[in-house]
Amino acid sequence: MFKKIAAKLKTNFPAPEVQAHCDGPCGVYDPSSARITAEAVVSMTKKILELDPKAGDHKTANTLSRYIAIKEEQAQKTKEDLLILWTDYFKPVHLEKYPDLHDTFWKAAKLCSACKVEVNLEHANELMEAVHKIHDMFWATKDRDVTWYKAS
Amino acid sequence: MNEELQTALKLLQLLLGMRKRLRVSGPSMLPELQPGEEILFNPKAYRQKLPKVGDIVVARHPYQKKQIIKRVAVVLEDGSCFLTGDNTSSSTDSRSFGFIPPNKILGKVTSKFP
Repeated sequence: MFKKIAAKLKTNFPAPEVQAHCDGPCGVYDPSSARITAEAVVSMTKKILELDPKAGDHKTANTLSRYIAIKEEQAQKTKEDLLILWTDYFKPVHLEKYPDLHDTFWKAAKLCSACKVEVNLEHANELMEAVHKIHDMFWATKDRDVTWYKAS
Repeated sequence: MNEELQTALKLLQLLLGMRKRLRVSGPSMLPELQPGEEILFNPKAYRQKLPKVGDIVVARHPYQKKQIIKRVAVVLEDGSCFLTGDNTSSSTDSRSFGFIPPNKILGKVTSKFP
């Protein structure tokens, strides 16, 4: 009888959830998402710099604001992707092999912020280099030789 | 004790507020706890004593508004715990978010429900 009551209780009044989760999709991490968004930041920075801000027509103003919006969005996404790798994928054991791991991620995250706020091709290229370094570190921890490549 | 009696005891403990019920979501405590299974935990288990290594505990996530269920791997003198999932390849735990202070350890898992 008690078992029936308990079973009914469980079916009709399910308990609140307690999480036994991982934040990522169960161990699937890949720095390529940060690479793609970082590439977009470099591309948008170049396109903004190629525009003439003095043009004064609606078309240029519209294009410029679109480029800025995309650059900021992609820089923010790069930062989020990097932070997930940093906090969720990398573990203390990796720190032994890469003592500059925290510094690398910290500087890369700072570069994301700089690229979001500024129009600075130098910083955008530095961000790309930082993502490249993280790519190399990431795949080395998996003992896999994954070639770095760019879509653009 | 037969199963019927055990279930009766669990129901009584629930009724008296000595245990709370939660439903496991996610694979990080496999094979011990399946997603969808319900557990009972004792919210007063650690009022007088510290958690022990090997205990399964319910804790508050340090940065998010959710409760997590993990196993105690290390206990410090102040009661802070290093928590890990049993299924380490599918678990975000103290390896990512560090030690959990005692005020965020909400209780000890005592059994499955029913």
